[in-house]
Amino acid sequence: MNKIVSIILATVLVIGIGIVFFGQLKNNPGLNGVQTAQNVEIRDGVQYVTINARGGYSPKVSTAQANIPTKLVVKTNETYDCSAALVIRSIGYQKILPQTGEEIIDLGSPQSGTLQGLCSMGMYNFKINFN
Amino acid sequence: MKTYTFYVSGTHCASCKIFIEDTLNEQIGIDRASVDLKRETVSIDTTLDESQHRLAEILTEKIHHNGYSLSVEKKAGEKKDNGVIWQALPIGLAFLALFFLVQKSGVLNLGIGGQTTPVTSFIIGLIASVSSCLAIVGGLVLSLSAKVSQDNVSDIKTFVLFHIGRLVSFAALGGVLGAFGKAVGINFTLTSILGLLASIVMLLLGLNLVGVFVKNKIALPSGFFNFFRRIEHKTLTPLILGFATFFLPCGFTQSMQVSALGSGSFMSGLFLMLAFAIGTLPILALLSFGSASFAHGKHAPLFFKSAGVVVIGLGLFALLAGLAGLGIINPLFSI
Repeated sequence: MNKIVSIILATVLVIGIGIVFFGQLKNNPGLNGVQTAQNVEIRDGVQYVTINARGGYSPKVSTAQANIPTKLVVKTNETYDCSAALVIRSIGYQKILPQTGEEIIDLGSPQSGTLQGLCSMGMYNFKINFN
Repeated sequence: MKTYTFYVSGTHCASCKIFIEDTLNEQIGIDRASVDLKRETVSIDTTLDESQHRLAEILTEKIHHNGYSLSVEKKAGEKKDNGVIWQALPIGLAFLALFFLVQKSGVLNLGIGGQTTPVTSFIIGLIASVSSCLAIVGGLVLSLSAKVSQDNVSDIKTFVLFHIGRLVSFAALGGVLGAFGKAVGINFTLTSILGLLASIVMLLLGLNLVGVFVKNKIALPSGFFNFFRRIEHKTLTPLILGFATFFLPCGFTQSMQVSALGSGSFMSGLFLMLAFAIGTLPILALLSFGSASFAHGKHAPLFFKSAGVVVIGLGLFALLAGLAGLGIINPLFSI
């Protein structure tokens, strides 16, 4: 194989992998603008933020209100992958979620800022921005 | 008194020169051994009447435990190496691209309904073995297998022991989880740290397979590789490594461990984890025995370098993800 051909191929592949990894980040804000409305709701004075965990977390970025009692609802549905092994460092939470079910995590009244959840291996994550 | 010059391979540090010279000078009938690191040659004066080829064999025997060998002709394989990396790079990257694309596509997020039985955990094992877990467990298996094959240890035996260790430990630990339930917790931070260690091993072995350490003569990791060379000869090592894969971070494994925890008895936990491990076996066995057969074929240099590229890619991925998982860095990506 020619050296130049090979360098070109390698470059194309690196860009391809780059798109797989980082391409999504750019699309996120627009995409989540739509979903945010659906996954945050306030019932009886308590704010519920719902995240689906299966093959990653969705929505990846949510926006919620700060300083009101908030509960995080993580839904699993036949989730066997890493997203079931949830870690939220800022509140010291780590648990392997049931394969199918809803996990309700009390966040108290979060101050404005960002709460980040990860799967234990670190390749999936989600963020909730409190304003 | 005759003077001979041999080509020497494996000299990656300045102290190698001293070591080889000292060792050879100790031999009866050898005088004034001197190593030229730049040209990778050793010249000796000898009073022995052996042929040059025979001398190369005799002397190699004295130093090959430390990873050096002498030859009369320059080894042909090493001359070609420079070209091979240019073939290996796109091959390795293509595998990485394919792997990450499959992850991203969501094909692997299959639903398996109902309760977890040994049959479903077998299927989950099959899925897990091509999932993101492959980045850590598979990457580690591939890098170790390729390295073991490259060093030409009795590789088949080593791999069989590794896989036996893995199956037995999954069954036994699954049984323990089933029997003792919640008393045994598997710590996230511990598995994350193990994952980080695994990714560092992968990176080092990957760089070694690609040949970076040989080419640039980086002296630092020689201790690591000598250590590695020593332990890979032991029978117990592959068994223990197989055992340790139980604790490597992998969402599927952890999820199965929870199922085993909840299963309530030794036997049910045992069968769940065993079935899962058997499910992961085909791909992992393919990785290790595939390495062995490639390593002894004529495309060996290409295979080692391609495997090196793949392992470096997976190692980097696992390292960055692992650091993010521990909260040390912000997650850079989400696949």
